[in-house]
Amino acid sequence: MRRAGSGAQTETIKKLVHMLRKYRVLMVMSIIFAAAYVIMTLYAPIIFGKAIDNIADDGVNLGMVVEYLVKAGIIVAAASVLQWIMNLINNRITFETVRDIRDRAFKKIEALPLKYIDSHAHGDLVSRVIADVDQLADGLLLGFSQFFTGVVTIVATLCFMLSISWKISLITVVLTPLSLFVARFLAKSTYDLFKRQSQTRGRQTALIDEMIGSQKVVKAYNYTGRSHKRFCEINDELTKVSVKAIFLSSLVNPSTRFVNAIVYAAVGLSGAFSVVAGTVTVGGLTCILNYANQYTKPFNEISGVVTELQNALACAARIFELIEAEEQPSDAGNEELRDITGHVQLDNVCFSYVPGRKLIENFNLTVEPGQRIAIVGPTGCGKTTLINLLMRFYDVDSGSIRVEGKDIREVTRKSLRSGYGMVLQETWLKSGTIRENIKMGCPDASDEEMIEAAKATHAHSFIKRLPQGYDTVIGEDGGSISAGQKQLLCITRVMLAKPPVLILDEATSSIDTKTEIRVQRAFEKLMQGKTSFVVAHRLSTIMSSDLILVMKDGNVIEKGTHDQLMAAGGFYCELYNSQFAH
Amino acid sequence: MKELLKYFKGFRIEAICAPFFKIIEVVFELMVPLVVARIIDVGIPSGDKGYIAAMCGVMVLLGVVGLGSTLTAQYFAAKSAVRFTSAVRQALFDHIQSLSFTELDNLGPSTLITRLTNDLNQVQNGVNLTLRLLMRSPIIVFGAVFMAFSIDPGSAWIFVGVIPALSIVIFGIMLISIPLYTKVQRRLDGVLLKTKENLAGARVIRAFCMEESETRDFVEKNDMLASTQKFVGRISSIMNPMTYVIVNLGIIFLIYSGALRVEAGALTQGMVIALYNYMSQILTELVKLANLIISVTKSLACAKRVSAVLAVRSSMTDGTLEESNRKSEYSVEFNDVSFRYSGAAADSVERVSVKIKKGETVGIIGSTGCGKTTLVSLIPRFYDCSEGEVLVDGVNVSQYRSESLRDKIGTVMQKSVLFNGSIRENIRWGKPDATDGEIMDAVKAAQAENVVAAKPEGLDYVIEQGGKNLSGGQMQRLCIARALVKKPEILILDDSSSALDYATDAALRKSIASLEYNPTVLTVSQRVSTVMHADRIIVLEDGRTVGIGTHDELLSECPEYKELYESQIKSSSGGVR
Repeated sequence: MRRAGSGAQTETIKKLVHMLRKYRVLMVMSIIFAAAYVIMTLYAPIIFGKAIDNIADDGVNLGMVVEYLVKAGIIVAAASVLQWIMNLINNRITFETVRDIRDRAFKKIEALPLKYIDSHAHGDLVSRVIADVDQLADGLLLGFSQFFTGVVTIVATLCFMLSISWKISLITVVLTPLSLFVARFLAKSTYDLFKRQSQTRGRQTALIDEMIGSQKVVKAYNYTGRSHKRFCEINDELTKVSVKAIFLSSLVNPSTRFVNAIVYAAVGLSGAFSVVAGTVTVGGLTCILNYANQYTKPFNEISGVVTELQNALACAARIFELIEAEEQPSDAGNEELRDITGHVQLDNVCFSYVPGRKLIENFNLTVEPGQRIAIVGPTGCGKTTLINLLMRFYDVDSGSIRVEGKDIREVTRKSLRSGYGMVLQETWLKSGTIRENIKMGCPDASDEEMIEAAKATHAHSFIKRLPQGYDTVIGEDGGSISAGQKQLLCITRVMLAKPPVLILDEATSSIDTKTEIRVQRAFEKLMQGKTSFVVAHRLSTIMSSDLILVMKDGNVIEKGTHDQLMAAGGFYCELYNSQFAH
Repeated sequence: MKELLKYFKGFRIEAICAPFFKIIEVVFELMVPLVVARIIDVGIPSGDKGYIAAMCGVMVLLGVVGLGSTLTAQYFAAKSAVRFTSAVRQALFDHIQSLSFTELDNLGPSTLITRLTNDLNQVQNGVNLTLRLLMRSPIIVFGAVFMAFSIDPGSAWIFVGVIPALSIVIFGIMLISIPLYTKVQRRLDGVLLKTKENLAGARVIRAFCMEESETRDFVEKNDMLASTQKFVGRISSIMNPMTYVIVNLGIIFLIYSGALRVEAGALTQGMVIALYNYMSQILTELVKLANLIISVTKSLACAKRVSAVLAVRSSMTDGTLEESNRKSEYSVEFNDVSFRYSGAAADSVERVSVKIKKGETVGIIGSTGCGKTTLVSLIPRFYDCSEGEVLVDGVNVSQYRSESLRDKIGTVMQKSVLFNGSIRENIRWGKPDATDGEIMDAVKAAQAENVVAAKPEGLDYVIEQGGKNLSGGQMQRLCIARALVKKPEILILDDSSSALDYATDAALRKSIASLEYNPTVLTVSQRVSTVMHADRIIVLEDGRTVGIGTHDELLSECPEYKELYESQIKSSSGGVR
């Protein structure tokens, strides 16, 4: 178990290193500057020592003192400049790496199959992109700024020490790694705890996302008390894990410091015996003790950094999990679908969201350019699924969907989707201005074209009454814009894009009928000569379709024109009569 | 920000103990050089190996005691930092839940989520470090100054000069960077919003092939975040080199003036060495402190953001009334009610007056954006009306305790929202202790029986976050069931059958009309067919009532209604070829 954990950890480190490769020149520079700066900071005390040597009680050589002090001043100035540059480099590496990771995570989100997005808690994914990446940044910055300097300090001090007495130095060298063992031992168990902390945090974020994101429903149902309790539970769980993780990780530093204290005592003991034996002078002992101290300190710092890195690695693992999730099959090199006239063919399409639970089976349909296909049926019969397949949000399990005779899996998604204009029942607008939202499908459109489209959908009249007109910013929650107005904006968006094939899934469900009729008229004009798929409950809007598919439980149970279906007297007829028998 | 301190309540002792034990550790650490001095001064000259060994033993013992007190300190620090943050997080969560819709609209969920997660994580880190380490540095610095004075007050002035210089650098950088860190967090909010939005709008974004432009947008936002972070980083990275230079300048002065004073016979070489050692000690401490300061500064900025949300007061004061003390024949009354959203240019509801009797079914119809939803959201007091008053059971809604008020009301909102959990758990939102029998009754009444029946797990079927594994119509019916299970006195259906087919819609209307507890029903809809059977219909246009009456009355008296009706009938017949 532990081995598996550390294996995964090594894997994560490898990936991280791979990610940092881009900055290898900067990293090498950082190490060089760190080395130069550390050596200078170690050298400065020696010069100060020499200056002090010239302040003997029996006579002060002021000239020499000043000379050494000037030298020290120059070294100090140089060291601080070097350190500053090193800090700047580390700063850059860290934040640019973090930026790269976030960019990659986001690009991944854009390329993930919808199945992944539909089946993962959004709060948890967000937590990976935000909180986990931030923790990683902290870890990296500390890692760079303290790890390198630590290593350089150890090497440099060791050299200074060896120059005084190699025997005593040997004790230090042999004993000090003890602290690293202790650190390693503790670090392993902290890694698991930090991972659990991250996971619990992810679950908490998911709960926060739901409860705060839908706070209005929570309030309407007096759920605040219960959500308080649920939050309390998970918060307690997080508290317990965090206390353990933080406490255990904070053990590393004191433990290694304790090991160092023992090393120091051992060096003191052997040093003092050497002095008594006459192999070392008192001054030499003081020096060695000082260096022993200086030598062990970086181990301490490194071990402190190690725990921070553990946390960072646990977070990195979660980020990589997202970054490495399998993307939707690439369509690079696929043909571009050109000149879409609206010929769509479905052959023996089978599809289910959950393996083993069949939804759509052996679905066949041929749509000629310009035809209007209506899909009706009771709620939950698979109408939306059909749209998921047409837009290639999901791939069919077997069979094929062809547009213009080409399997949609063999053309680029972009060329396929830009052929479609889609208005869904669930309106989605991005936070931004109304203008940005309308021009979403067609960013190059002029304002005149945009206003023309808005007039066609009757969105113009309400937009111009808004305080900032087309520049009104739609807030995260839509603010004071009503659901119907949002839907009008979504329709305007498609109106402006003028795609060859239209998919309307209950596109006018939140709009009042008066406006709806005008919108319908605009749609009629837009749909002329274009293939369209219309999902609707109000049969009145689809009666004139070329083909009506009546779906139930994932199957097409009836198929034909309105008149044919009415004459057949089946399910459609029943549905129709229920709507118009008032 | 001070008000955050109260969340230390309950573990103040731990929070105080942590630095206290840390001080003990420092003291033991400072004793080590004294022991070494004994070895050199006593042990070595006499060649007493036993004494030397004993003194080394004392050093190990000091190490053990030091370890013990540090472990205690670390434990208390970890515990109080985590528990403090957890208390603040809970308080913040509860506080957000206590805000009214107006504040929620203004703040937006994204930033609230970052504050509850990322910001508080930073605060936790800051508190932990502060308790563990922040006490240590000042003690060592002031200890060193104290020792300097005891050696030679004449040289100690250099220490006195160095410390303010250091303070100016450290606090100056802190002051400059706190607002910058606040900016970083704000940019992070933007990055979070973009991420959230792209998860929620994945379908539309892909349908419009906007992946690339969204990515560009994200990269831009992310770049801005990174450049702000780098900018603050650049400022903080001055701290360490600056303090290094200041302390070393101090040392140079110290040695120079020391040299002069030794020559004058006021000082010995040993004293200069001692003074120099103390100054170096300050330096080593400062190196540690500088790293700490960055974390602490960051967490101060985050703490500010957290307390900013905690400082937002709900614009609504809750009433105290549990149950109406008046006998009223009206269930809901609007008396000359106007409402304007905060920041909006015009009223969304204007001077509406209507009285609705108990058990009455009222339809509300009107064109898109005419204020239908706004009007009904005044009843459960989601918003306070700007003028006039809304009464429920003869009492102004603001006098009720909002939980009691909302207990009476079942609201089905326009946007169907279900939560991660089983169907049973979701429906129990309406009534926490509902039995399976009650749940199934509500499900049946909401015409959702086949939704549950279609799932092999039945009521145990787990709904994913946001109801992603249900269709729009299924969600709507479960939302209705959730409202019905509480057997509300007032049922508000805000366009909640828009995703239902006509047959189901008609069946739903029938089953609601025949509910035995006979609730007052307010149905908001676009469809004349949904409201035409209501006892009365309110016709809204641009926030004003243009007609109230039965279907027949309105047909003859209200031209707007007539137009709506005809448009719908016409669209029905017009479509037939």
